[in-house]
Amino acid sequence: MPPPPVAWTPVALAADLQPGAAAGVVVDGAEVAIWRDTAGTPHAWEDRCPHRGMKLSFGFVRGERLACLYHGWEYDGGGQCRYIPAHPDLDVPASICVNRYSAADAAGLLWVASGTGSGDLPDPGDPLSPLRSLFIDAPLGEVLNRLAADGLPGLGPVVESAEDGPLLNFDQAGHRFVVGRHPTGPSGTALHILLKGEVSAEARAAMIPATAELRRLAEAGR
Amino acid sequence: MTRPVLWNYDLDDASYTVRLMASLAGVDVDLRAVDVYPGAEHHSPGYLARHPLGRVPLLEDGVVQLRQVPAMLTHLARTGPRGTGFLPADPVGTAAVEDWLAFAFRDWLALSAARSASIFGDGVDLDPLRAAAIAALRVAEDRLVAQSLLGSGFVAGSAASVADIALFPGFALSRDSNIDHDAFPALRNWARRIRALEGFVTMPGIPDYH
Repeated sequence: MPPPPVAWTPVALAADLQPGAAAGVVVDGAEVAIWRDTAGTPHAWEDRCPHRGMKLSFGFVRGERLACLYHGWEYDGGGQCRYIPAHPDLDVPASICVNRYSAADAAGLLWVASGTGSGDLPDPGDPLSPLRSLFIDAPLGEVLNRLAADGLPGLGPVVESAEDGPLLNFDQAGHRFVVGRHPTGPSGTALHILLKGEVSAEARAAMIPATAELRRLAEAGR
Repeated sequence: MTRPVLWNYDLDDASYTVRLMASLAGVDVDLRAVDVYPGAEHHSPGYLARHPLGRVPLLEDGVVQLRQVPAMLTHLARTGPRGTGFLPADPVGTAAVEDWLAFAFRDWLALSAARSASIFGDGVDLDPLRAAAIAALRVAEDRLVAQSLLGSGFVAGSAASVADIALFPGFALSRDSNIDHDAFPALRNWARRIRALEGFVTMPGIPDYH
């Protein structure tokens, strides 16, 4: 049985999308532009400029607005086009508007949902230490089965693992791992991995080769 | 004092790497345009007399004549008023920079090859080139994830080095060969740090956020 659909999808480590930055992600098979305004508020939009269809994730942030790379059309936080450089005096019609998703920061992750989003976002209570986002060319189900059973390769046995909606938690090597599960396509997976509590940067950096090994094993199907 | 002369083709990623390093290091260079396409001027007798390998770029600085890009980068870093920070002085830092510089001019060239095959359409099988390019991108991504966790924002330390400048164009231009940046968040943030350096310049295919 596939897992029940979840309203919110984790799409990035919150810290990996800086204020003033834009990036492209896939949510439920759709291309979505995520960006933070310079105040740090996250936004998620259909990744397509209403003007010529250019990916808005290629664009650039100016204050509270995202500007398209092609012709500089600027959209405010509500997705409304506010400025067209080729027609600087134009009062932009309200019909020029980007389709929006919901975006929120919670549990060290950036979440996106269609429409207004439904259901609660996780609240772990404890502080979380980010590890990394890992992109794997293998289906989500296979990657999760492997992760729940064996954790990160070479770090010893997994003591316990449990699915918690869009998160997978497991205990390994004295740490509790919290993993945001993010299908990027029929045969593509992103894992957004954090650790419960304050874990030193050195200890986390030492785990990076194990994450690379997980990616290698998952893609080899072994 | 005469300025260094860079024989340059604007759409060539290696030429851009050298223009970028010169600008970051604060070196004013005189550009000489080489009509690579469609003119094939780099294969003309006049150009081959200067550069028997028939490639762009070529850097001439007084008695110094350089045909290899890594030598151009280190020369510009050594001679430019803002260049010294791009070459660490200590053995440990130097070792890391040289290792990543060698990576940039070996494994990372798969990105350049994939881009050439994509945009100049010379009938090469793209799949193995793209696979090699993605393998190299992952090595750099994994490195920068670890570096970022440790508070070092660049491949060989906490300051941008000649190795970072050698790597930047391949990543920034990867969309020319249909390799998107979605799966490389650490490289994406590293590229933002490079863009923020004093003297940063772009080339066609690398947007200037005006």
